[in-house]
Amino acid sequence: MWRSEIDGLRLTFHLAGINNQNFLMRDEQTGTFWQQISGRAVSGPLAGRSLTLVPSDELTFALWKSEEPQGTVANDVAKYVSEYSPKDWDVRMRKARTVLSYREHGMEPRDLVLGVQAFGGSRAFRFDAVLREKLVIDHVGLEPMLLVVGPDEESVRVFRRRIAGVEPAPGFYRVEHPGPVAAALFLDDATGSGWNFRGCAVSGKLQGACLERVEAIKDYWFDWRHYHPDTSIYPSPKR
Amino acid sequence: MFLPFCLLSMAVAWGLLLYPLYVIRPFRAQGAKELVVALAVMRFRAMGMAVAVAGALAAAVWYWGREHRRVRRFFSAAGVAMVAAAALLSRVNVYELMFHPTERPTFSAAGESKLDGGEMVIAVKVSGTARAYPIRGISYHHIVNDVVGGEPIVATY
Repeated sequence: MWRSEIDGLRLTFHLAGINNQNFLMRDEQTGTFWQQISGRAVSGPLAGRSLTLVPSDELTFALWKSEEPQGTVANDVAKYVSEYSPKDWDVRMRKARTVLSYREHGMEPRDLVLGVQAFGGSRAFRFDAVLREKLVIDHVGLEPMLLVVGPDEESVRVFRRRIAGVEPAPGFYRVEHPGPVAAALFLDDATGSGWNFRGCAVSGKLQGACLERVEAIKDYWFDWRHYHPDTSIYPSPKR
Repeated sequence: MFLPFCLLSMAVAWGLLLYPLYVIRPFRAQGAKELVVALAVMRFRAMGMAVAVAGALAAAVWYWGREHRRVRRFFSAAGVAMVAAAALLSRVNVYELMFHPTERPTFSAAGESKLDGGEMVIAVKVSGTARAYPIRGISYHHIVNDVVGGEPIVATY
């Protein structure tokens, strides 16, 4: 997701090609070609420039609706809805061919990862491992990081694992049987406050405080690895 | 004189049309250099096409002035048409034929949408306004040019 404005110029994008299975878009106004995953202009008058990221979140509709009851959702385009992927698209895609493979460290090209590029580091969290562990205490670069699986058991959010005035960075653990969506999903080991999936404390000493969200992208390993050649992997590959 | 000129125009026009289609096609690995060349061709080929069409046309006009046999005149016109066809086809965005864009996206209130609760969405929040794009829709259209919370954004997947 990108801001479609650069230097005050508003851009309208069109699908314009594919580069190793990540699409290219072209803006009507300048004719520049942009890479979808990186937001970088690869050819044209604005080549070398980057679009500004708009943070986004991938989650189930039910969970999103409970968090954003005032929100609006894009409708299917009736004319083309028959061409949309079937409901099990994600299962089918796992089998689709790739042109890049990066079969290394035991990774398969279509393995799903949650990619985080922040604080000078790139890290690919194996999606299946995160879903299994439900709460991951880790680092990206040298920065303490926390990954939490949502109450829908399918969505994952990443937070900077820091609380103002708490040194060293706190640990977190998951509430065994979390209640409704707004209720505490995990607790910190420094103050015992309860935190929800938005990363905000809903009980305890820190009630009202929020952790800092970190942008993460759910991607296939081959695509993430192609644009982040220095990425590390969680959990550490077995030797 | 006409034939080599017409064939050259044809080669230029069809080369400009087909080279990017050949390089930028699904299920093929794109090399960094060839991609740069193919994108440059797409950016500048309108000029090349104009030159090719004008050249073929000029050659045909010259040829008709000295050649009166109908069959030969017909084939010279067909040659120009072939060049013009490549020029016209190069203006078609094949990727938007495969995945039609959403020209005017419409939205429903979260409470009124009939979307199944288990379907995945990709969500943004800009200046306090929340919007969700169901993944099955946006993974087909790939791009939605939108305005959320007063800010122009492009939703991509």
